[in-house]
Amino acid sequence: MSVTTQIPAKAPLLKKEECKGVMIFAECLDGSVNEVSLQLLTPGRKIAGKLGVETTMVVFAPQDSKLTEAPIFYGADRVILVDDPRLKTYYPNVYGDVLVQIVEREKPELLLIAGTLRGREMAPYVANTLETGITADCTGFEVDEVTKDVLQIRPPFGATQLAHIRTPKRRPQMATVRPNVFELPPRDETRKGQVKLESGLNIPQPTIELVSSQEVKKEEIAIEKARVLVSGGKGVGSREGLGLVEELASEFDGVVAGSRKAVDAGWITHERQVGQTGKTVKPTLYVAVGISGSAQHVFGIREAKVVAAINTDPEAPIFESADYGIVGDYREIVPAIIDRIKRSRH
Amino acid sequence: MPVNIIVCVKWVPNTSIVNVDPTTGTLIREGVPSIINPHDLNAVEFALGLREKYGGTITAVAMSPPAARSGLEFLVGMGVDRGVLITDRAFAAADTFATSYVLAKAIQRLFPADLIVFGQETIDSSTSHIGAQVSSWMGLPYIYYVTDAEVVDGDHRLRVKRSLEAEIDTYELPMPCSLVVMMKSNTPRPITLSKKLRAKLEAPIEVWTNDTLKLDTTVTGLRGSPTVVAKSVPTPSVPRKKQRFDGRKNAAEAANWLIDNLAKEGIM
Repeated sequence: MSVTTQIPAKAPLLKKEECKGVMIFAECLDGSVNEVSLQLLTPGRKIAGKLGVETTMVVFAPQDSKLTEAPIFYGADRVILVDDPRLKTYYPNVYGDVLVQIVEREKPELLLIAGTLRGREMAPYVANTLETGITADCTGFEVDEVTKDVLQIRPPFGATQLAHIRTPKRRPQMATVRPNVFELPPRDETRKGQVKLESGLNIPQPTIELVSSQEVKKEEIAIEKARVLVSGGKGVGSREGLGLVEELASEFDGVVAGSRKAVDAGWITHERQVGQTGKTVKPTLYVAVGISGSAQHVFGIREAKVVAAINTDPEAPIFESADYGIVGDYREIVPAIIDRIKRSRH
Repeated sequence: MPVNIIVCVKWVPNTSIVNVDPTTGTLIREGVPSIINPHDLNAVEFALGLREKYGGTITAVAMSPPAARSGLEFLVGMGVDRGVLITDRAFAAADTFATSYVLAKAIQRLFPADLIVFGQETIDSSTSHIGAQVSSWMGLPYIYYVTDAEVVDGDHRLRVKRSLEAEIDTYELPMPCSLVVMMKSNTPRPITLSKKLRAKLEAPIEVWTNDTLKLDTTVTGLRGSPTVVAKSVPTPSVPRKKQRFDGRKNAAEAANWLIDNLAKEGIM
């Protein structure tokens, strides 16, 4: 079978001067708007305030559901609701094509999508179909005072620098946003907003078919929701070495995480990886055990309230990013901490 | 039924050995060897698995500077049938939009094929964009985070399994289609030294420049990129207390020091 490739247009598909407003796509799961989508109202409203424009959230959901309430309570000015049974199942190109049509009608200057797995899958398709640029996994935004362009901020490899990306000519400016970097805005149930029911959309027939879906039961709290995280790195030396990390986590009523090196070594799963190439976490207490503290790792714990570190190397960079650092062998220090916690409990 | 596969790969600096300049805080890239993006090797392994089961050919495509040739040789050593290196100054400094366009045009030239496979992301820029963007240019159905695939008997369709945050989904897609292989799935096979040497001597690698592709250079490279890096600033550090206790002589004292401080913070 032969294929054709679309030729990019010379001129932007949407004219810059016609585009106005901030739009956020709401990922809906199990009958509610995903919290990480609502988090985007924090940067979204701030940018909209600086530009003097409205913030609109796009929701694909049944009309009678409560799903239009949450965006308004958390700060959206408007909700665009698409109620169509053909959108019950998510397919990246079907959802993408519908979102493209809404963008073509509404002409926002900025479109934000939460950087969940589905978001990261769909957003580049939307950007490409609109023939605009997109920045992945942003951790911050700024409005350029002169051009009014929205600078999309992300750490390039290494996380020692933050790149400010601009989309000077094409619209909308687009970004996926790293989950848990922004706080959920306060919920205000007295807030009012407009809900617009969108109709007359061309909803394409999916060529992909979801045959079955199997829920994976999680025994534990995900690391991004944990109050205490005890995290192991290369310094724990082996899968067995992680046993003490697990024991300490359980004493703190916390959850086990790890550095990239611990994940690469196969001691811990990728979904527990903290750092730039893993997850951003925001526990009250983060304990780094045998983690040297690369810039990429430290980037993932910026939102932690208190950081403690245990490392044999007094020169380890993790001590520069910790509130309380203990120089010592974790095989001696961790059992001593466990012992102290147990004693104070009696 | 044989499945003819195109795998897109990227030639990247080996970021696991990149060091940070202690005075400027920037990356020292000089002298850092490049490698095939490790997450792309999972995609290559996925393709090799399908070829073992159903037959067909595997073509690896990279848009990179000329040095990437040795990376494509490595993939031939792993078992890929041939490599195509797309290299031209007119394609340089492209963002993912302009990169994906050149890749799509190159892939179109390689058609007919049944399947295009991508790695989940690169270790040097981690965007995860290219799979969806190429699929958008070519109008092909696509799905990310794929771990397994099988051909549906007697039908030009694939049944694939993919992993999301809290579920494992099974889909059917008509071929041709694009699949983005989940990182850490499909552990790449080791490559033997003899295969490596043979690949170096015999690898069928074509080099395509814009003389081959004949693209309008206003839509490629830096000029064709909608995004630009406006500036780069050092990541501000988070203020931390940086208190230190030497626990090498007395672990119990160190433990007491930590727990007492955490108690003061209201954590215990």
